[in-house]
Amino acid sequence: MRTFKFKRSLTLVAVSSLLSITVVSIPTAAQATPVCTTASGVTTCLGATSDTAPYMLMTPANFNGTVYLYSHGYRPNVPVPAGIPGYGGYTVTNTPEPAPGGDAKIIGTLLAKGYAVMGSGFARQGWNADSAIKTNVELIGVFKKQYPKTTKVVAWGNSLGGFITQALAEKYPDLISAAAPLCMASDLTPLMTMAGDALWGIKTFFDPTIKGGGYSAGTAGYAEAMGDLVKVFTAIGAMQAAISANPTAPAWPATSTVPAALKAVPSRSALVLVALMSGVPMQSAHFDSTSAPAGLPASNALSFQLAINPALAALENLANAAALAVLATHDVEQQAGGAIFDNTATDYSARVASERFIWSSALTGEAGVNALLGYLAAVPRVKGNPAAIAKLATLTTHTGKVEVPTILFTGTADPVTTPGNQQAVIDKYAAYSAEKWAAAKKVGDRKRPANNQLVLWDFPPEKYTKFTAAGSPDTTGAAATGTNHCNFTTSQYLAIADLLAYAAENGKNMSGGALYTKIRKAGNMTYDRGYEAPRLKYYGE
Amino acid sequence: MIRKTRIKRTWLAAAVIASGSLLATALPANAETGVSASEIKLGITLPLTGAASPGYNKIGNAMNAYFKYVNDNGGVYGRKVTLIQKNDEYSPQLSISKTNELILRDKVFALVGPLGTANFTAVHKSVGLAKRGVPSLFLNTGFSGFSNKKSYPSSFMVLPSYAMEAKIIAQFLKENHAGKKLGIVYQNDEFGIDGMGAFKAAGTKFDVTIPYTSGSQSAATAQTWVSQLAAGGAQVVVIFGVTSATGALLGVSAAARYAPQWILGSVGSDPVTLRAIGVPVAVLNGAQTPAGNPSPNDTSDEYVKQFQEINTKYNTGTAFDDYVLQGMNIGLMTVQALRAAGKNLTRKGLVRAMESKGSKFASVAYSPLGFSRTSNVGHTGYYMAVMDANGDRKPFGGKVTLYTTDSGSGPVVVSTFKRPAMPAKGLPSNS
Repeated sequence: MRTFKFKRSLTLVAVSSLLSITVVSIPTAAQATPVCTTASGVTTCLGATSDTAPYMLMTPANFNGTVYLYSHGYRPNVPVPAGIPGYGGYTVTNTPEPAPGGDAKIIGTLLAKGYAVMGSGFARQGWNADSAIKTNVELIGVFKKQYPKTTKVVAWGNSLGGFITQALAEKYPDLISAAAPLCMASDLTPLMTMAGDALWGIKTFFDPTIKGGGYSAGTAGYAEAMGDLVKVFTAIGAMQAAISANPTAPAWPATSTVPAALKAVPSRSALVLVALMSGVPMQSAHFDSTSAPAGLPASNALSFQLAINPALAALENLANAAALAVLATHDVEQQAGGAIFDNTATDYSARVASERFIWSSALTGEAGVNALLGYLAAVPRVKGNPAAIAKLATLTTHTGKVEVPTILFTGTADPVTTPGNQQAVIDKYAAYSAEKWAAAKKVGDRKRPANNQLVLWDFPPEKYTKFTAAGSPDTTGAAATGTNHCNFTTSQYLAIADLLAYAAENGKNMSGGALYTKIRKAGNMTYDRGYEAPRLKYYGE
Repeated sequence: MIRKTRIKRTWLAAAVIASGSLLATALPANAETGVSASEIKLGITLPLTGAASPGYNKIGNAMNAYFKYVNDNGGVYGRKVTLIQKNDEYSPQLSISKTNELILRDKVFALVGPLGTANFTAVHKSVGLAKRGVPSLFLNTGFSGFSNKKSYPSSFMVLPSYAMEAKIIAQFLKENHAGKKLGIVYQNDEFGIDGMGAFKAAGTKFDVTIPYTSGSQSAATAQTWVSQLAAGGAQVVVIFGVTSATGALLGVSAAARYAPQWILGSVGSDPVTLRAIGVPVAVLNGAQTPAGNPSPNDTSDEYVKQFQEINTKYNTGTAFDDYVLQGMNIGLMTVQALRAAGKNLTRKGLVRAMESKGSKFASVAYSPLGFSRTSNVGHTGYYMAVMDANGDRKPFGGKVTLYTTDSGSGPVVVSTFKRPAMPAKGLPSNS
């Protein structure tokens, strides 16, 4: 394989904005009754629920009776010191968010149509699903009290907010008329297993001083987690530089302690293995795992397509996923009271049983993947704290048992809440529907229960990796659609909002030509009942 | 709004009834995706450009040429067969999106001849062929894993598996090259694993073993292979790789004057393609290879003769080689499968037809087909051939001795199987 040289260094580590940003002001204190002001025909009310979670209600003068309840995504529950890539300077905030990202266009469009919007900032940040569900239930009561003509509440939310939204729909069908969990997280245990696997893989191959979990209590644990953030990004940065310098055979980071024999395998293959074994997609914001720079000899172009582009995709996605993995692991461990990741029984070889063939070149063939997996099998594993793991299991999980119309939408290359999260809820709903159908047949009912789950996907384009004139990957452009975390356009959000309104009004999801027209106009939304996303790696282990 | 919808539906229903009655005299109404009263749409993914494309890029056009010939002669029960080719550049990720295009946008009835092991593994996993019930016929890969009927219920192989091929080569080495130092260059993925596992099971011990990663084959890497083979004293070298790897190795060996007895795996042994990518014909002279089909130059063979005629008329300007022969033959088998599925063409019906009648299909290959309700194995054997001074392939020992076996521990046996005759004028009439 010819050595490729990139003329310019890559600029990959541009972590997507995982932190929710809002444009609204924060209430100054918890208030039992909201304080409202009206301007330009819109009444904005600020208050706090009994758990001190601040909220915001926005209602137009021509309120039509339907209100959108938005649940925001994961916000770290600790501040992140300046200087840490992607998150540096973050401070914990519970600013209410009545629409995705506080998007003024989304809010304005909905208000103009006569809908109200509302959202809480929640009392606690981090993984807060159980308390956030309660907060939302109370918030619905607050809104209805304030606006007695309310007839419908539709719920939507991103990421963790998608989890909360799905749970609301499952638990409170009497309160919610329709729901749209977007780029949703599924249950916490598999989600944290994915985080743990990714961190353990990076630690094991690239820097064994990364803790990757098992953080101490209190400030010591906080310092350990922040230290891990620095180390994870240092390792990823080192890999980035190594691939940039020598894409064919990038050096292993100086912090790596893998045996010399293993270093015969290009370090980029270890990156690919970490992504595959933890379930991180192989298409990233700027790398499609397909393209090669123009002008390369054919055999080198094929090498780039099959081996190097996928490594860069793995690198970029792990950069996005690993930081949140550290922050969420620290957060959930503090809540659970100990280490939650346990891979003592994990068979990483089984995890990649089919992927090793698909990505054979990127893994340096069977010799490469066997060497890497052999090393993972030989090194000590992480033992979790049984009590902490048991505590995780007591937190809310999804059942898939939903009676109200739900609309699911996610990118198929989301590296944080991978599409398998959405697929998990699809599978649960399918099982529930089958169960209902069997019960109906038992009592002689021949009518199959209606399918009230509308599933939409955002697929990345076929090819989107850009190259400079010198042949280096160009990562300065926007992330491709379908990649990155919750990377939706305003048009897509507004289409979801319309679909929610229709579902609430009609008691069922939009279908047929109207649905196709709606999603076609929004762009990059696919309705395909035959598509199944790759299952989460860690179910059934 | 309700009234408008009702009117529209009534109108649509009337239109359907009307068109249905028109069709009643010709073909039964058919609601299956990719099948209309006049057309059957099929799809294939394969590398049409790039390093892996030499040779493979001829298969789709050859299939198309055969389908055009059939269409000009009445089609399949009056329906013309259309093949949509998608270039996946041999990239598994691209195979996924191209197959999605074929299924969702082009709405093909079935896939025929999709090429590449990693590619089809990716497609099967990510596109959900089994769930969608999309048949995938005559996979252009010999990975024995695809013969798992439970995992691949709607897929059917065509090539003998790589394991079968390795077992037959192992037997040949034992009988003809005993005592010599053996070397092997193999693709270090499921392609090579299949083969290496079978060699090991057969007791073949290689003195020099060189794995290569798919995509890494080039003149530069081939230099290192030659050095290792020469240093190890390999007298007989098996190449279990794709054409570009075989070509790189033979080309570099010629320049280095390294000339062991070559045994070329069937995947990378087409002499026309090897010569086209720069392998001197002198290097090919004497090379031994397992072969499933007759030589594409053997005009005494009724299949070859017929396909050559079709190629001349419908695939003008394309040299007739192993890949063209393979493409035409897949076309022939596809038409038989479509006919066997009947006039009421459905995806389920096609799968059933493959299972119940596929083993009797006419095919240019000498070995039997293994299709049944419990097997999606295609051809099951090879004969050994040797290349002459013109790069043409002749049966080793002067006559075709067909060996058949399975992908497991079954023995390699000499078969007396007689292949079915070519349908008259190359136009199947089966049902």
